[in-house]
Amino acid sequence: MADKAITTAAGAKIIPNVMTKKQRIKRDKWLYLLLIPGLIYFIVFKYIPMWGIVIAFQDYSPFLGVFESSWVGFDHFKFFFTNPDFIRLFRNTFLLALYDLIFFFPAPIIISLLLNELRISWYKRTVQTFIYVPHFMSWVIIASMSYVFLTTSGGIVNELLEQFVGRKFNFLSSPEWFRPMIIGQIIWKEVGWGTVIFLAALAGVSQEQYEAAIVDGAGRLRRMWHVTLPALRPTIIILLILRLGNFLDTGFQQIYLMSNALNRSVADVFDTYVYFIGITQGAFSYSAAVGLFKSVVGIVLILGANHFAKKMGQEGLF
Amino acid sequence: MKRLTNYWNGSWLLSIILFVGILAGCSDETTGGNSDNGAGENSSGAEEPFEIEIFATTFSTNPPGNDSPVVQALEEYTNTKLTFNWAPNSNIDDKFNITLASGDLPHILYVPSKTPSFISAARDGAFWELEPYLADYENLSQANEMILDNTRIDGKIYGIYRQRSLGRNGIVYRQDWLDNLGMDVPETIDDFYEMLWAFTYEDPNGTGVDDTYGTVISKYEGPWNIMQTWFGVPNKWGEIDGELVPDFKTAEYREALKFFKKIYDEGLVNEDFAVMDTTEWTKPLENGEVGVFVDVLDAGERARAKIEEQYPDNPDPIRLLGSVEGPYGHRALPTSGYSGMLAIPKSKVKTEEELRRVLTFLDQLNDEEVQILAGNGIEGRHYEIVDGEYHSFTADNEGLLAEYESLNQIMMFIPVDKVLAATPNELKQLEAQILEDNIEIVVPNPAEALISEVYSKQGQQLDTIISDARIQYIVGQIDETGLDEAIELWEKSGGNELVAEMNELYKEAQANRN
Repeated sequence: MADKAITTAAGAKIIPNVMTKKQRIKRDKWLYLLLIPGLIYFIVFKYIPMWGIVIAFQDYSPFLGVFESSWVGFDHFKFFFTNPDFIRLFRNTFLLALYDLIFFFPAPIIISLLLNELRISWYKRTVQTFIYVPHFMSWVIIASMSYVFLTTSGGIVNELLEQFVGRKFNFLSSPEWFRPMIIGQIIWKEVGWGTVIFLAALAGVSQEQYEAAIVDGAGRLRRMWHVTLPALRPTIIILLILRLGNFLDTGFQQIYLMSNALNRSVADVFDTYVYFIGITQGAFSYSAAVGLFKSVVGIVLILGANHFAKKMGQEGLF
Repeated sequence: MKRLTNYWNGSWLLSIILFVGILAGCSDETTGGNSDNGAGENSSGAEEPFEIEIFATTFSTNPPGNDSPVVQALEEYTNTKLTFNWAPNSNIDDKFNITLASGDLPHILYVPSKTPSFISAARDGAFWELEPYLADYENLSQANEMILDNTRIDGKIYGIYRQRSLGRNGIVYRQDWLDNLGMDVPETIDDFYEMLWAFTYEDPNGTGVDDTYGTVISKYEGPWNIMQTWFGVPNKWGEIDGELVPDFKTAEYREALKFFKKIYDEGLVNEDFAVMDTTEWTKPLENGEVGVFVDVLDAGERARAKIEEQYPDNPDPIRLLGSVEGPYGHRALPTSGYSGMLAIPKSKVKTEEELRRVLTFLDQLNDEEVQILAGNGIEGRHYEIVDGEYHSFTADNEGLLAEYESLNQIMMFIPVDKVLAATPNELKQLEAQILEDNIEIVVPNPAEALISEVYSKQGQQLDTIISDARIQYIVGQIDETGLDEAIELWEKSGGNELVAEMNELYKEAQANRN
């Protein structure tokens, strides 16, 4: 996704601006024709379904359909914002997202920098391969693994902790451990995969820069700071903007699987709420309204971050 | 081609694309409608097998399809052409809601319970109202009046219930452990506690090692509900001075919770019950780690079989109890007497004639022949009868079993279950006896048939507040004040409206009855 954006951003700059629009369309008519399948795809599968958003403003019933269901305007939104759940949901979602940004987002960058410094290439490749593997496991498996390892009834981690620290920790069932556990799982699962893009960006850094830095007497840390990191900066910024667009997406599966009666006070997030309200309770309109709110927050964040990045003299997404 | 080169070709293209897109969007609906009509017309022919699509649930990973000889025999008997859409029971509620929302409904829709989505769909006229027709069918006309009442929505019947025993809940325990310890079968809640304590701390299995504990509970909260009933807690709603009161506002509820906290604090219950997955739940009982299991009675026989497998020299260690005596005598938590129902959507079954055809099929499913077919399979292939004794061939042949196993999920057993059974062992006989005895002591929910508007909108959240608070109290995360706060939150989140509405509905219903 990200590299597509880079090429279109770069590609847009290449087109010379000498001909008029009309001339250009005339010249490239066959290329424009190639655009049709893509356009149809987006219109049919992305834009037409978007029309379904109207159910957020209706009292939708599947049997009356979109046309027959009664119109309620912003009622669902009003109910949502005045609901005692709202503050709690917002806080939980926001904190998880924030922790994710602070603790998970830099993790692949750090790992990439470390991998980049490795001298023996077969070792580097092996490490890379091994840290990819968790990405391909489903959350269901990770949730069961966490249970087996962390349970207080014979879980290996707690057995060891009891041996060495002298007490057990309720990782699975205490509110204070919930967020660290979730972030820990994400890091474990995704950090290897996250390095792919950064390592690709690093592969493009010319060796001459490093050689020049060495000649100038730069040590390893200096080279990392002045050559490697600046080379990564555009990638980091673009990924950060993209991440902000999904800021409130906390990963439904994972949260749903790890939440229980004892940690629900911190585990209820917008995604699980939409599920409970929409799928379990069948309140389609209300859950659509909640989902729409989430999307609006997402688009505000992505536009804001893009604007901010441009202001800081960086290249934005668009 | 020439026209493409003119000035407007860009917007011209775009408008075509838009038009095609709109066509594609519309044509979906029109073709869908047409095919529905077509199916209806074709199948109304007199001799042709009638096509029926069925949405049903299954516990099996390999439910039977049209290649199963049992399904073929069923089709022949009922002169139908069946298409099954099996949904795994583990997430049946989600699957049901999604099917409902899709609008593409089958002829027969399994409804897991009176969920808010089903209620609102029924109110919107999505299903046939069946009461006027039932009397015309031999088996369906014998449906139990009380259970029918439990299935009503606004006084109307929208589905035919699947009958299941009312008195299914009870206690499964290790009789051999009791014998080892020289203890009597528990009669009161205190005895029950003594049993849990002894099973945890007095080495009931005689290994000399501390490797057992009292009872195992999982994320599923059924055991707490069953146990609190013994203390006199009403079944969801209680009637106090003519007013409906939710179960958790009674003094008995606090008593029950204190007991739960005590058995948890003393280590008689597994420490991690709140996070234990339901699929893990029965394992400690099967492995001989746990001596008491509070759940449906048939769990006893299932566990016995597993224990026998692992310890062949201990083939019959399990016994059952319907309840133990509390301050109000013996009380047991009933099931609702039915496990979901089969509804007939109007969008698929369009005419009354078709409806009658589907009802005939449902009626036939209750015939003895069909019940045996779905519950036992085909004689000679799946079982044999020697000297009047039933012998199944499927015990160690999963493939054979899979040919019919899930079909019992569309069985209503109206008026009675006629499936063949092997001569029951002692445990099964005891189970049958307790199922019957339990009917006398079950605590009915006075609000079972009432449909609350508030509950259908917010019931899930309201229930979660209370059930989470119960668990938090048991493990010591909150105290009595915390419970009060949870109840206050419940009241503020819509609970007060719920109580008011339920009482109104209840008075109305009572006035109608008199």
